[in-house]
Amino acid sequence: MDALTGGALTGAWELHPSVSLRPEPFGALAYHFGNRRLTFLRHPDVVSVVRALADHPTVDAALGACEVDERRWPSFHRALATLAASEMIRPRTSAGDDEPVQEAC
Amino acid sequence: MSTELMSETVETEPRTDDAVDEASGDLVVEELLVEEISIDGMCGVY
Repeated sequence: MDALTGGALTGAWELHPSVSLRPEPFGALAYHFGNRRLTFLRHPDVVSVVRALADHPTVDAALGACEVDERRWPSFHRALATLAASEMIRPRTSAGDDEPVQEAC
Repeated sequence: MSTELMSETVETEPRTDDAVDEASGDLVVEELLVEEISIDGMCGVY
């Protein structure tokens, strides 16, 4: 089951369809039209990873595809857990989860 | 779905919180990658 495990997300995730990302110089603004939450994504890399989640079977696969240095992964795991808690991203249940598009980031 | 949120540009600085690992002496970089914003009290602004 896809879930939070010790603060790290497991399984496949995607940007929630009710969330809009607006590019900003520092990264992006994420706004959830359902729960009306607003979140700053404070680095372009986290924006890239969030967008790439839908194309990869795991968070780590998306981090790798986006060429995020592994020393930064713990920070990204925490950030994505925060986004999951606020429903900015959601577990992906659609078919094709096991067919990542490796070049997408 | 509309992707237009606001017309203004929000200015903020990327922030990195550094800490020294006492055991190893290595610099541990803790990045603040996301920040949740409360919009309570903004009635009338939009």
